[in-house]
Amino acid sequence: MKERTRSKEDTIQALHAVAAEMHDRMMRGEPPRMTLPVRSKKNINFDERLNVYKYGKKKTIRDATSLGSAHQLLRALFVTEFMEEMIEGQKSSTLREMYYISEGWGYGKFGSQNESNNLAEDLEIVTGCLREDFKLRPEEDGARIIGNLTFEEKNRRGEWMRINCRDDVGDSGYGVPYNVESEKLRLLSHDIDFMMAIETGGMFDRLVENGFDESARCGLIHLKGQPARSTRRIMKRMNEEWGLPIVVFTDCDPWSFRIFASIAYGAIKTAHISEYLATPSAIYLGIDSDDIKAYDLPSDELTSRDIEALKAEKSDPRFQNQEWTDQIDLMLELGEKAEQQSLAKYGLDFVTDTYLPEKLRQKLGIHIG
Amino acid sequence: MVVKMDKAQRIANKQKQISISEFFEKNKHFLGFDTHQRAIITAVKEAVDNSLDACEESRILPDIHVYIKRIEGGKLELITQDNGPGIPRDSIANVFGKFLLGSRFHAIRQTRGQQGIGITGVVMYSQLTTGSSTTVLSKIEAESTAVKVDLALDTKNNRALKSNEERIPMEEWFEESGMQTLHGLRIKTVMSAKYQRGRQSVHQYLRMTSIVNPHATIRLKVIGKEGEIVDEGEWVRSTSKLPRPVVEIKPHPHGMQFGTLQRMLKNTKERTVKSFLRKEFEKVSPLVAKKILEHAELDEKRRPAGLPVESIQSLLAAFMEVKIQSPPVDCLSPIEDLLIKKGLEKAIDSRYAATVTRNPSVSQGNPFQVEVGLVFGGDLPSDGTVELLRFANRVPLMYQQGGCLLTKAIESIDWRRYGLEQPGGKGVPKGPAAILVHLASTNVQFTSEAKEAVSDNEEVHDELRRALFEVGRGLQSHRKRIGQREKSREKFDLINKILPEIASKSSSMLGREPPDLSPIITKIMNAVFCEEEVIWEPREKLAKCSIKIYNYTARARAYTIIAKWPESDSTSIVQNERGGRKEARGLWAWRLDAIDPGSMASIDFTVSGLNKGDWKEAEVFYRGNGEVIGSEKIDEALLEEARKQERLQEVVEEFVVPSASTSSHQKDTVSLDSNIVSSEIWEAGDKLF
Repeated sequence: MKERTRSKEDTIQALHAVAAEMHDRMMRGEPPRMTLPVRSKKNINFDERLNVYKYGKKKTIRDATSLGSAHQLLRALFVTEFMEEMIEGQKSSTLREMYYISEGWGYGKFGSQNESNNLAEDLEIVTGCLREDFKLRPEEDGARIIGNLTFEEKNRRGEWMRINCRDDVGDSGYGVPYNVESEKLRLLSHDIDFMMAIETGGMFDRLVENGFDESARCGLIHLKGQPARSTRRIMKRMNEEWGLPIVVFTDCDPWSFRIFASIAYGAIKTAHISEYLATPSAIYLGIDSDDIKAYDLPSDELTSRDIEALKAEKSDPRFQNQEWTDQIDLMLELGEKAEQQSLAKYGLDFVTDTYLPEKLRQKLGIHIG
Repeated sequence: MVVKMDKAQRIANKQKQISISEFFEKNKHFLGFDTHQRAIITAVKEAVDNSLDACEESRILPDIHVYIKRIEGGKLELITQDNGPGIPRDSIANVFGKFLLGSRFHAIRQTRGQQGIGITGVVMYSQLTTGSSTTVLSKIEAESTAVKVDLALDTKNNRALKSNEERIPMEEWFEESGMQTLHGLRIKTVMSAKYQRGRQSVHQYLRMTSIVNPHATIRLKVIGKEGEIVDEGEWVRSTSKLPRPVVEIKPHPHGMQFGTLQRMLKNTKERTVKSFLRKEFEKVSPLVAKKILEHAELDEKRRPAGLPVESIQSLLAAFMEVKIQSPPVDCLSPIEDLLIKKGLEKAIDSRYAATVTRNPSVSQGNPFQVEVGLVFGGDLPSDGTVELLRFANRVPLMYQQGGCLLTKAIESIDWRRYGLEQPGGKGVPKGPAAILVHLASTNVQFTSEAKEAVSDNEEVHDELRRALFEVGRGLQSHRKRIGQREKSREKFDLINKILPEIASKSSSMLGREPPDLSPIITKIMNAVFCEEEVIWEPREKLAKCSIKIYNYTARARAYTIIAKWPESDSTSIVQNERGGRKEARGLWAWRLDAIDPGSMASIDFTVSGLNKGDWKEAEVFYRGNGEVIGSEKIDEALLEEARKQERLQEVVEEFVVPSASTSSHQKDTVSLDSNIVSSEIWEAGDKLF
């Protein structure tokens, strides 16, 4: 795997190349522009070598012939300038801070935080750098982990701290930092058989309270909805460095399918770094569409947004295999979805005593108890 | 010299009475006294409607004051004061003490208080709820003193009981009325009522009244128990043009109903049915009368009074079978579109106003005319449904909005295509707009006695829809103009602000020389743009219009630019360095020979004789090759048509002697406070584009 982070000179040079593209065009009497890959499901292809989905060859040109695009170009220059200052001054800022700093940028000001987040990603893509190189960090906190595994994390004083995610943490578990690269976090040792990623906080807490991490010899990680980059990255590292299988336990709805796809195949928004974030061997444990009938789970009717999302998934390259096509078609046919917590219909222990052991046996051949 | 009967006296003489006072006592909710909040609105409405009607009949510009005071015991004291003709002493008891089917019941024409039943209701409500009498102070021009009298009602005998009658000298009248007029009426009454602000309030009623009565000045003051001001409002007249005097017409056979015909037959002085038909109806000639009677198989010599029910029915049927000319329509008094526009702009701050007055038409023998106004943008709230301002014969309708024909017509239009939100294309639209609908008719049919909702009528509905379509189209083209303007403003921002900054930032970051922007600008814009602005100069009282044409294409351009301006007898173009020439009425043209690539040409001219707000937006047209963004290509066919119309108009004017003013004594009674723009403004252009 290639070197993840770049030197500060390389980063600045890559950023200047963006400004140079604009300047060169203007010197030729042409409107300035920036060339970006198309960031939609239409432009992600499976990379045979990396085993994940990456952006394809489709490019979009953002040129200054419309006000919106011209704003974007100007913002890109402001952001470049701001990043240079941070790199030189050895500072860092959160994406949200950058959004607020843009208040003073006149016509370069961002209209919303979403715009500034997207632009930071755009710059990552065109420069081939990572936002860590730009000294930008997300303010969203990463996942929580509980289980018998031990990390070493560098604290603010620069000292390495050993943390066992079962013995050294409280009920809320170990909080994953936004930077989980080896300069910040080392994977020391573990005594578990697999990692289970859980979509909702309620279910995570249920498994913790029921002691599922011990009874099933696994690590539990709470995804908090669509998982942050650091969450996906740490799972990838545990999978690669420790050889642990990753199983994903979510609700049964179209959005949960997308959570799984971003873990296993790569997310559309971050397809430029899929090879760092995606774990191709991850397994979808449930809840499956046919569990609704098999376990007679309380369910909700699909909304029109749900149905649209399912239809969109049918043309998403990441879901083009028999398993997912069946899963999606069955959900459309049933017209229903179910939450993880609907398992509580059979009591609080049903999920740990019955459902998960059955699923693990079925999908991984793991026998518990 | 002929001694003329005082106008007020004449009006009073025509009033006929009916005895339904007892009936009314049991049914006061019919007349809008059902709740305490509504009682005060109804009382003000009855008094103000009467004042406006009386002033109109006497050709007086109305000044109306309404004072309301909260007093102990959940009561309100109401004083209304006008500068109308006043009421002669001997008629006061009749006007206030009996239920009258006003002077207009048998003569047909458009008036506000169509059944003349209202003001007595106020006296009665006051008496029923507080036991007080109502004080009337009346001054007529023919007498040197005013009359002051307290009125109570004897509801059993349908009679007014007068007390404390006295004569008031001129000086005291001036003092008490607060007006320096030789005539007027002041009413003071006390009632159980509650003053409330909001959409259904006295304030809203007067505001709406002022919109459709731009010739009236109305003032409102509401005082609390401690003397504090609870509410106030002042709506000054925006025109000194009185509504056109309405002509009384006789009923038309097509509008007849059994009961009315039966009563007319009973009351007529005519000796034969034939002369009854000829004399008491509109558009019934001897030949038509003969045909009607043939169809009805009635002997023309029959006495009207003794006609049996079957004969009346066959007469009614014959009315519909015989071809009869439509009734005359000059009995209607529309507000007229320019005055609606002024009224609306006075009451509502907006960016855009469009108004339409349709030509009169006839439904079931009754002439009617619809008018529609629409204001859009500005400070109007963009969430929530648009405000509907409904009027029948210049009277605001404030209740029963949902069941009203005027509302239904608005709801039946798909406003989405005109740029207003409307879920499903039905119902009251949403957005920053207000819609005014006015129905003028000699016979407005209401759904109930409360007279708050107009009942269904297909012809009226169709006319309303046509008028609403017209204002809708106006709104649509306004929005298109706004959209184009925004788009070109964006482009200007791009090349003037963003692009230079991209150039300087990228150059300084890379330490390179800055690029030349002009070829880039031409590539980005690749179009000709027009910017237009009208500014009001308050000191010089001039409207300054500035038109700028930017050529951002790679070659030189030439155009004739045509601007629409408010041409009228009282306005003129005073500063216009580029000269140019008149293209048609309200359209001025300038030739711009060569605008080089990357350059700009400007046209500046100034118009005098306008008031602030009269002209906010100049429409610009062009003639020449290549689109000009922000302006429209002139339609030569329509332009030629306009010129033809003008020439025709000039020929007509040479032969028509302007008619003399009908108002005689208004000048000494009211000082005219505004010099308004004549209604010809806009006409040339509005009909065309």
